[in-house]
Amino acid sequence: MGTLITSIIGILTLIGIMTRPFRWNEAAIAMGGAILMLALGRITPADAAVTLLRDWNTFFFFLGMMTLSALAETAGLFDWLAVQAARLAGKSAALLFLNVFLLGSLISMFLSNDATALILTPVVYVLVTKLRLPVLPFLFACTFIADTASFLLPISNPINIIILSRFPLDLMTFLRLLFLPSLTVIGLNIIIFFFLYRRELKGHFEIQRLPSKEEAIKHRAYFNYTCAVVILVAVAYVLASATQFPLSSVAIGGAVLLLIGARFCNQITLLETGKRISWSIFGFIAGMFIIVRAIEDTGLTATFGHWLLQISGGTSLGAVLVGTIGSAIGTNLINNVPMAVVMTSALGAIQHAPEPIRHGFLASTMFGCDLGPNLTTVGSLATVLWLLILRQRGVDVSGLDYFKVGVVVTPIMLLAGAAVIWLLLR
Amino acid sequence: MRVLCCLDGTNAESMRKAAAMLTTTDPVTFGILYVIDTGPRREMEHTRERFLRPHHPPPREHRIREAEQGSSRDILEEGRHFFQNTEALQREGRPEREIVNVAAEWQADLVMVCPRAEYGAKPILGPKSVGHVARFVLDHAPCPVLLVRPIVRDQFPLPR
Repeated sequence: MGTLITSIIGILTLIGIMTRPFRWNEAAIAMGGAILMLALGRITPADAAVTLLRDWNTFFFFLGMMTLSALAETAGLFDWLAVQAARLAGKSAALLFLNVFLLGSLISMFLSNDATALILTPVVYVLVTKLRLPVLPFLFACTFIADTASFLLPISNPINIIILSRFPLDLMTFLRLLFLPSLTVIGLNIIIFFFLYRRELKGHFEIQRLPSKEEAIKHRAYFNYTCAVVILVAVAYVLASATQFPLSSVAIGGAVLLLIGARFCNQITLLETGKRISWSIFGFIAGMFIIVRAIEDTGLTATFGHWLLQISGGTSLGAVLVGTIGSAIGTNLINNVPMAVVMTSALGAIQHAPEPIRHGFLASTMFGCDLGPNLTTVGSLATVLWLLILRQRGVDVSGLDYFKVGVVVTPIMLLAGAAVIWLLLR
Repeated sequence: MRVLCCLDGTNAESMRKAAAMLTTTDPVTFGILYVIDTGPRREMEHTRERFLRPHHPPPREHRIREAEQGSSRDILEEGRHFFQNTEALQREGRPEREIVNVAAEWQADLVMVCPRAEYGAKPILGPKSVGHVARFVLDHAPCPVLLVRPIVRDQFPLPR
């Protein structure tokens, strides 16, 4: 009976996140599920507290990462980088397009996909609007590269931190398994986009329309300080990954340094910084951690893990395909954070499998959860369906343009990346 | 100027009226319209939803508005150099719908539109040479539409 109640709450929560009835916030749905689990005694408050405390690295990493990005944005770092990318393009729209991809990869690599998708995208939008270049190809480039380049390093996507907190991989193993696939899909993404938008990218832009560097930088000293801190954080991230030092410490440390600088230069207050952070994401993750922990006790996630192992046929190829396709589909159904939490719990069942299979599952789960969102980009399949319904009713909506590109490009990238991961496991 | 009127047995009267517009000696009032496409902004908002942050922070929002308005102002200002006695019109929304609505509200007798923005590429003829905005305007405009295509003579005749 207990298992049934737990399963029903878990499934209802996932369906709620998938369908978002009445446009409810995902975090509220996840927290509601967690509260229900606690209220019905499906998990004890002590267990819930231990679960959340065990994942402190994930919570603090999210906090540090969002604060770092917000403060770097305040300094004008992203605007300055975008202007540099345009200057280096020498008036060519095609070269600027390439530079946006490279810049997006660099930002995702060291400041996470969050920074590219949420901060670089509007910066590039403003830039190309001023330069009178076609906006959509550049927007799509930013949105896609945010996820495509999000497994270059463990810190490139918080999803990696969620998975690696439970299944630590040393940096060399992470890079051995995911760096080459990452370069492969980045290359593929660039090639396919250049083909799709070949007509729009033939033109040139007038350099005098380019904003000046001074326009991007509001306070020179704070800007220089931010550049130094971000470089320091990037190096520290690599060193911390190599030595298995908690990555959240680096993110929080960098954020604190930037905050001190920002306050010293009177650039932003603590309250304003707080407003730039998505606090609901903590509720979303906490809710999911508690729900999945309660489900773990019923043995359902272990069964799911054994089932995944079974359908992989016990081969590394099977592990990579099941991990990639399963995670990619799941992430489009229920958002990548819950999918990563569910998969992390399920993968507990493969801990004693041979190393190629274990690594195959781990690498492909990160790969699928990171790259998968590019399929629908707008959040989830539910959002796409909602947009389709609205359009059918004649309501003025957009959001489907991403979807059209995503369904063409993402499966190709998923299969190519999975093939490279499999080859690297052999 | 040589104007080719293609008759189908039902349209001679309409053609005559349209031709009269081209040869009129009455003063012509030009309206130049630029529509700020709100589609890309909504695309960005949908992406932000995935990260549970649907709205841009206020300073970024301000910069976005500033860039859109500034670009629109410049484009309309450029338009004034080419058209004398013009009325500049600026709208926000989906360009194809705004063009049609403005044509109706402004009581336009003729809408001039290009097949698509070229961004430096050589204009093409053939399938899909007319973009979705121009196609929508051709389908829904409340008055005659002049589709401004490039003059190309070297790709003809087409196979009969």
